Parts: sequence; C-alpha cells; structure tokens
Amino acid sequence: MEYAVEMCHITKRFQSVLANDDISLRVKPGTVHAIIGENGAGKTTLMNVLYGLYKPDAGQIFTFGQERNLKSATDAIACGIGMVHQHFTLLPRLSVADNVVLGCEPKRGLRYDRSAAIERVGQVCSKYGMQVEPERMISEISLGMQQRVEIVKTLYRGANIIILDEPTAVLTPQEIDELGKTLEQLKNKGKTILIITHKLEEVMAFSDDITVLRNGRHVVTVSKDETDIPSLTGYMVGREVHLGGTKQEHPFTEELLELQDVSCSRDGRPVLSHISLKVNRGEILGIAGIDGSGQTELTELIAGILPCDSGTVTYQGNDITRRSIAERKKDGIGFVPQDRHRHGLILDFSVEENLLLGLQREPRYIQHGFLQNRKEIHAVAKERIEAYDVRPADSGAKASQLSGGNQQKIIIAREMGNKPQIMVADQPTRGLDIGAIEAIHHTLVQHRNSGGAVVLASLELDEVMILSDRIAVMYAGRLMGILPAAQATREKIGLMMAGVGDAPEVKP
Amino acid sequence: MKEMDTKQIKAFRGIGRKQVMDIIMPFFLVFLAFLLSSIWITFMGKNPLEAFATLFRGAFGSATSFANTIKKSVPIAFCSFAVIVSMKGNAFNIGAEGQLICGAIGATLAGALFRGLPAPLHIFLCIVASALFGMLFGLFPTMMHRFRGVDLLVIFLLMNNVAEYFLQYFVLDLFKSQNALVPSSRAIEKTAELPYLIGPPYRMTIAIILVLICAVVLTWFFNRTVAGYEMRAVGQNRQAARYAGIPIGRYTTMALLLSAMLAGIAGGLEVLGNYHCLYTEISPGFGYDGIPIALLCNANPLLAVIGSVAFGALRNGSLAMQAKVGISSEIVNVIQGSLILVIASNYFIRYLLNWRRRAK
Repeated sequence: MEYAVEMCHITKRFQSVLANDDISLRVKPGTVHAIIGENGAGKTTLMNVLYGLYKPDAGQIFTFGQERNLKSATDAIACGIGMVHQHFTLLPRLSVADNVVLGCEPKRGLRYDRSAAIERVGQVCSKYGMQVEPERMISEISLGMQQRVEIVKTLYRGANIIILDEPTAVLTPQEIDELGKTLEQLKNKGKTILIITHKLEEVMAFSDDITVLRNGRHVVTVSKDETDIPSLTGYMVGREVHLGGTKQEHPFTEELLELQDVSCSRDGRPVLSHISLKVNRGEILGIAGIDGSGQTELTELIAGILPCDSGTVTYQGNDITRRSIAERKKDGIGFVPQDRHRHGLILDFSVEENLLLGLQREPRYIQHGFLQNRKEIHAVAKERIEAYDVRPADSGAKASQLSGGNQQKIIIAREMGNKPQIMVADQPTRGLDIGAIEAIHHTLVQHRNSGGAVVLASLELDEVMILSDRIAVMYAGRLMGILPAAQATREKIGLMMAGVGDAPEVKP
Repeated sequence: MKEMDTKQIKAFRGIGRKQVMDIIMPFFLVFLAFLLSSIWITFMGKNPLEAFATLFRGAFGSATSFANTIKKSVPIAFCSFAVIVSMKGNAFNIGAEGQLICGAIGATLAGALFRGLPAPLHIFLCIVASALFGMLFGLFPTMMHRFRGVDLLVIFLLMNNVAEYFLQYFVLDLFKSQNALVPSSRAIEKTAELPYLIGPPYRMTIAIILVLICAVVLTWFFNRTVAGYEMRAVGQNRQAARYAGIPIGRYTTMALLLSAMLAGIAGGLEVLGNYHCLYTEISPGFGYDGIPIALLCNANPLLAVIGSVAFGALRNGSLAMQAKVGISSEIVNVIQGSLILVIASNYFIRYLLNWRRRAK
C-alpha cells in the first residue's frame, strides 16, 4: 500500500535538545491522522520538518511513494503539502480572496486581477464545500472562519496533505464541531490531514489514526477504534493523571469580593459593561466565553490593572475600586495574567528574581529600609522551587530557559506563596502539557478547599466545567449569566458563549 | 566509555555556542567598524593599517600618551554610565552631550563664584552643582516625555543644540575671561581644582577614582537595593513591572534624571580636573561616545569602564593620527558611527554568521 506521508527515522537536534529522536510515521491517504503528545514532545518540530521549515539531521521523507528533499516551505507546497499554523498568518485589512491568493496572485499583464482571484477562490470553496465569503475583510470574520480561510489557502495551492497545528485552540465548541465537519468533507475529497493537538476529546472525535510522541520519541500509533482517552493519556504522560483536583466539603461561605455594576474601557473602547457578581470563600468561580469576550479584562479589573469607569469593587467589606495594583496584591488578591511572557515574567531575570516580582517590598525581603535581604530571598526561592517542583531546580537560571509549564509554575508559586485570599487566574493552563495542568488544577482546588476563593477564566470549557463551583458566561463584554456547576451543560454554556439564549438566572 | 565521551562533547556544545557568541560579538563588531572605517581612509588615499598603527601608538605608545588616554576616558565613562542608567529604566538618554555641557557650566559657576572655601568642600560643591545643572537640563525633556508623551530621542537631540549654543554665549559673552589668549570663561578658584593622583607631567587627577567608585556603586545599586531591582524590572519588561505593581512612570523619570546627573558630572570633572575653565570645545562628543559603549557592554557599568578606556584611546590616538598621517581626528566620529551601524545590525550579522550553519 502506498502511504500519503512516510517519515522514516527522523532525527532533529537543537543544540543540546533532541527534539525528534528516530521517529517514523506513516499516514494513509484520505485519513485524518492526529499527532499527540505533551508540550516538548516534538510534535510541532516533526511537522515543521515535514513542511520543510526544519531540515532533519537524519531520516527520509516520502510522499505518495516518492522521496522528497524539502529545503523550504516552498518545496513542501510544490509537493502538495500545506500547513495551517496555530497563529494565523492573515492580513486583517485585506479581503479573504486577497489573503488566499497572496504570493501566487492571478495577473492581468502586470496588474493584480482581483475579480479572477475572487472567482478562483469561490471555485475552490464550492469544490470542497467550504463556507467562506471571498469578498469579506479578514478583520470582519470570526476566528473559525479565519481558520477556514487558512485551509482554503492550502487548497488553492494544490495541497493534498494538510497539516493543522493546534486547530481548536481558539474556537468555540460550536466552531469545533464545524471544523470536524470540514475535516470530514476534505477527507471525502481524498485529502490527507495531519492534526497536532493535545486535546484528547477532539482526537477521538476527528481522527482515524493516532500517533503519540513523548520526549521526542515515537510511543505508539493506534487506530481510533482500538483505543480510548485514558490509555492515550497514559501513552502521552507515561503514568496515570487526574485532572480537576479533589474537591472537599468545607464550612466556608463568607463573601470575599463583590463587583457592582462595573463598566470599563480600554483605549476608549468599552470592554466590560455593567458586570455584577460575587465571589465567596471556598469556591471556584469559572468564567467561560470565547476569546475576547471580556474575561481577560474582568480578571485585570479585579487585580487593579484596568481601572473602572463606573461601579464599585468591594473586597472583604472595603471599597477597593480606587486601590492600586500593589495595594491589592498586599491585601491578598493574587493574579496570574494570561500572557506569562509579557505580563507575568521578566524573561531575562533569573527564576529567583521572578519569584520576587511584585513582592520585593514585603518587609521580610528588605533590610535597613532599602537593601534587599538576599539571604531571605534566596531561602524562600529555594523553598518555592521545591514546593512547586520547578525544573530545573536552579534559582539562578534565566526564566527564558525554562519550559512553558515551568515558567507558569514560577508565577503560580509566587502568587500562591504570597498567601492570597482570592486568586485570580486568566487561562493559567494555556498551552501547558498535561502534567503541568494537573499540578495547577491541584493547587487551585487546594486553595479553594482551604477557604480561599478562585476566579478562573479559561477558554477551555472542559477545564471550567471540572473545576468550577459556579460558572459565569461572558459574551461581548457582558455577563450572560451565572450557572451553578450542577446545572451547567456544554450546550447551555455554548449557546450563552455565542450570545444566544435567554440568559437564565442572572444571579449576582 | 565511548558513549560518555560523546555525551561530554554534546554537553560542551550545549553550553557553548550562544555564550561564546555573546562574548566574541562585541569584539567582532568593533573589528567590523574598523573595517568599514578603513574603506574611507583608503578613499582618502592613506594606508589604513598605518593609520591605525599610529592611532594605537598615540594612545598607548608612551607613559604620557597612556595617561592622556585614561584622562580622556573619564568623561566618556560617566557618559556611558548615564546611558546605562537610562537604559535600565527603559528609556534612552541621547541628550548626554547637552547635560554634560550644562554640568560643565554648573561646575564653572560654582568653582569661580564661591570663594574662600576649604578645598574638599569646594570640590564637593562643584560636583554637586554639575550634577544639579545636568539634571535640571534633563528635567524639561523628561517631563515633556512623561506628561505629554513627547518623543525622547527628538527632544533630547534638539536640546543638545540648545546647550551647545548657550555654551558659546556663556563662554564668549556672559562669563568670559578678560585676559585670556584663547576665548574661554573665567577660571575656577584654586580650591576647586581636583588634586592630582599622579602629578605632572601625567596630571592624573582623582577623577579616575570617582569613575571606579561610580561603577561599583551603580552595580551595587542595581543588584542589591530594592529600588535598583525595581528599576531593572522596568527596563527589562515594562508591562510585567506594571502588572507587578511597580510605578513604571516614576522609575523611568527617576532613571532619566539620574542619568542626566551623571552626564552633568562628566562635564564638571572636565572643568575641575583638566581645564580649570570653560572652552566652547569642552566636549568633542563625549556624550555620544557613551551610547555605543553602553550597547556593546550590555549595560554593565564595570565593563563600561573598559569600553570607555578603549574610546578614550580612540579620541586620544586620533590626535596623533591627525598630526602624523594627516587624517582628521574627526575620523573617530566615523568609526563611532560605523560602530553604531554594526550594533544596530547585530541581529542581521548574527543571522549571516548562522546562515551557512542553518543551511546544513
């Protein structure tokens, strides 16, 4: 049998890291093949090798039985390979058709033939049953639609093998279902699809075959029908994992934080309108919503980074609407920002210095009023690194040298170490591997069990559902409603996330 | 055993590459700048090798020339400290030249107008005056930047011109000396002159000790104090510092004002240590010398001292080059410009160096 893709004994090394170690992979034509594994397992590296972005140190690549020597993405495209990256590469101010043809435009003489472009893109779309409007601007269409545009781009260039890198990261549940249908249609037209992901539900829903990588090595390739989620997790991590922590009964009910009719704006654009909610001790309040619905702004507002335009924020009975970031931190509001590289860490600082960030004015870290208490800083850093299992356990290493999961552990260790009453976390597990997610879930639930409160914004609906006691759903800067976890179903929340629904039981 | 060997080799490669590049790169950039400048020297019909050899001999050839090199490096070092401090606070002080001139004016006024003070006190007052004048001159652009969002580079560069023209007015009219052969300001009192560390013919003053003290104090400030930590945080990642509750606007302002003070002291020491009065040509562009040094030494004050000696050598050696080979000493500005050009293309040069390797 002829395989659509055959990668034999691929080895790729980056300095001291062996990203791909003798990996072999065979993909049958006309199937969806998932490549799964934790962060750093080598999935993306392997696919970048296939797409010609990296040259392997050893190994061969065949497509449809022919050996290929891919020196660049251009070579890969010429061989019928297309790739949709995790972060889209579309120009927002151009139309769909302009974006699709960019780089191989139809021309009339020297001029760009826009109407031919629109026509050809339309043809490609109808041939593959892709619903895309060629004349719309990219900035006007949803992320799900943008992803389809990216797929159309590869089809327009004649791709028979399409690689999708983490295709579901930015989509709503409904859009994910749509993507499933699109993949089905492409498969029926004979296209071969490779998807990189770490979300196992989707793997089971979309794919025919599954290859698991771990630490740069090939673990197993199985057919979907012969496996299930627990065993896939086992292959990925090499041990059993338990997400969602262990919730315990507790006596805490006291109200910690209340937002009353809060509105605010960023750069003159309203981002939150008339939000009212309460957070109690001993609960995790999940915030669901599609990307950009105001979840980040809500967390930043509580942390004091984004000022209120109107409304009041009450914390432990005191009005803190006008308090500064530093004051709130001191009063026990911990914050894990969404963008850990830009907002959470200083990448050129050492692990120790990052563990101190925001706490540098705590009396225990100061001597004689203005000097740093190096001994204490050192001791605490060592203790935190141990308690949160930051690896490598080297307080002098630069934060930039650590993996994403360990960088996030630094932030969690820092914020939790400050003994907060309320922990505000914006997508704390984004892009992390399952082992690190497990640890973060455990920490958050532990905080809840011991009488702290957690506000957790996440784009992963499953995460919100397993962790939360109550779920607040946001849409376009508004609070659509708050559901107790027991009443929340994926369908209900999904509709509210899309702005549909009669906003059941808005309880502040 | 064999496996062990390869592992060690791998580990060595692992630490090697980037760190080695970081150390070699500044030297390589300096080399490139000289290469570029030698093109111009060749165009001028001179032999660049001969020119650079003369330059080197002029800078280090004898004890006196070496002493002159060190003397020239004093104001350069303070200017590089000024740029470093501003960089740590996430800003860029390109106005060191203007602040240096104002610092020199401040020292001249304090040196000439205070009379009958004991020498240590008088010197101290003069240095404080130079710092204060430098800071006041930096205050206006800093405030314009902080409260009105005016672009720092533009306003600092324009302010440099203001300072230069005011200096001419000050030296040639306001505070001119009645009986000097060369146009100069009134001389400072004897009590304000910096004492010699090594007397004539070398005339090395205690200014060089101040340079070393300043480098150590700055290193200590950044690495040991809470404020230094916060300032570095602002410089490395402004947003993360803000999210951590650090008042970023205040730190940028503080860094710029401290930076202006250091540049002012650079000018003050020139007056107090070298000239004992003010000339219109007090600075051949020391304020601009600080920029490539700060960039090359990655904002490390201790390394900047070494960088400053190198630039002092350039400034001093170029005079010999002008006299013996007939190349204008302005060539230093060409070398400096080339240096800034290659620093700006740092990543591009690294990319070119890695190109062959990546293609493999």
